[in-house]
Amino acid sequence: MKPEKFKDAETIIGSSVTVKGDFHGTGNIIIEGSLEGSLKTDADVYIGEKAQVVANIEAENATINGQINGTIKISQYLALGSTAKINGDVNFQELSVSRGALINGRLSSHGAARNKKNNSTDKKEVLPEEE
Amino acid sequence: MNIYIYDDYLNKPKYNRILSRVEIRLTDLSLNGKIIRLGAIRNVSDVIQNEIKNGAKTIVAVGNNQTVSKVIGAIIDNELYGFFQKNVLFSIIPIGEDNSIADSLGIKASEEACNILLARRVKKIDIGLINNYYFLNKVSLPSAGAVLEFKDGFSLSTDQKGVIEIFNLRSATNDDKRLKVNPIDGLLDIYIKTGKNIKDLTRLTADSLKISTASNELLVDGTLNLSAPANIGIVRGKLNVVVGRDRSFD
Repeated sequence: MKPEKFKDAETIIGSSVTVKGDFHGTGNIIIEGSLEGSLKTDADVYIGEKAQVVANIEAENATINGQINGTIKISQYLALGSTAKINGDVNFQELSVSRGALINGRLSSHGAARNKKNNSTDKKEVLPEEE
Repeated sequence: MNIYIYDDYLNKPKYNRILSRVEIRLTDLSLNGKIIRLGAIRNVSDVIQNEIKNGAKTIVAVGNNQTVSKVIGAIIDNELYGFFQKNVLFSIIPIGEDNSIADSLGIKASEEACNILLARRVKKIDIGLINNYYFLNKVSLPSAGAVLEFKDGFSLSTDQKGVIEIFNLRSATNDDKRLKVNPIDGLLDIYIKTGKNIKDLTRLTADSLKISTASNELLVDGTLNLSAPANIGIVRGKLNVVVGRDRSFD
């Protein structure tokens, strides 16, 4: 289910549409179709369950339920739904992963790195999830 | 001075009564002006250029969507228009069928249009441009096989049957009220509808794009047929229009 903030998303790519190239926006973006290239926004991204994305993604927050082949860089919060399939490295500040999500790649949290820098006794790290 | 541009079809007897009522109402409101009949002139642009040069303050299209398209093209193409743009207003007095553009501007009926003209509620709206033609409402085409290319370096395509609509201004009568369209933001609102359900919808905004399609069926403002490929852009705040309260935008 989409978060409420996507109700009035500036950009929606429907399930029958294919986007090719560098797709950069300024508002919230919903992808339900196919995307090949790159996806970047200074706001939030929602990737639907049937979406097929072969692209690097950069956004502030993201909710992912579809398949992504590419690196994901989220400056704030990343939520992976139970149908998410990620092939690529993932960088975030905060992460939630639903049971059933698949991740083939390295997970890193710039939030954890910052905490580590601020407090050398803090040993918490986000480790890659085993399949 | 007000310039009223009457379309050809208003010569038909069935419009005599409504035109008389409009003219009486305009007189009552002291909004009389010069009447120009499109059927009697060859070059609309030249005629309007002369009127603006002679101090016309308001150009009023009296007719339907086709009349609006003819008059808008003539006003905007006018070399003097840019210079006088801050002063020259455009309005519509809708007569008969096919008046979705007037409706979008909040002008629902002929005599009400006279009151709206008197009230002088003015909005500066964008104008769409496809190749060399201006449009107020939208460009539409079949979606299957169409490719939309954007200057930012990406393209959109679909093989599914449906419709692509590229809006400047949403028609209050013919277009889905749920579609968000803003004619004062300097952007075109692009929608791709391929399913029966509005949830299966693509939406984005852009200030320019190129359309390629095998079907070659581009319909501009519901009246003009053009062939693909075509370049579409938008001219921000190009037209000062007199609008009613019940317009389709803020």
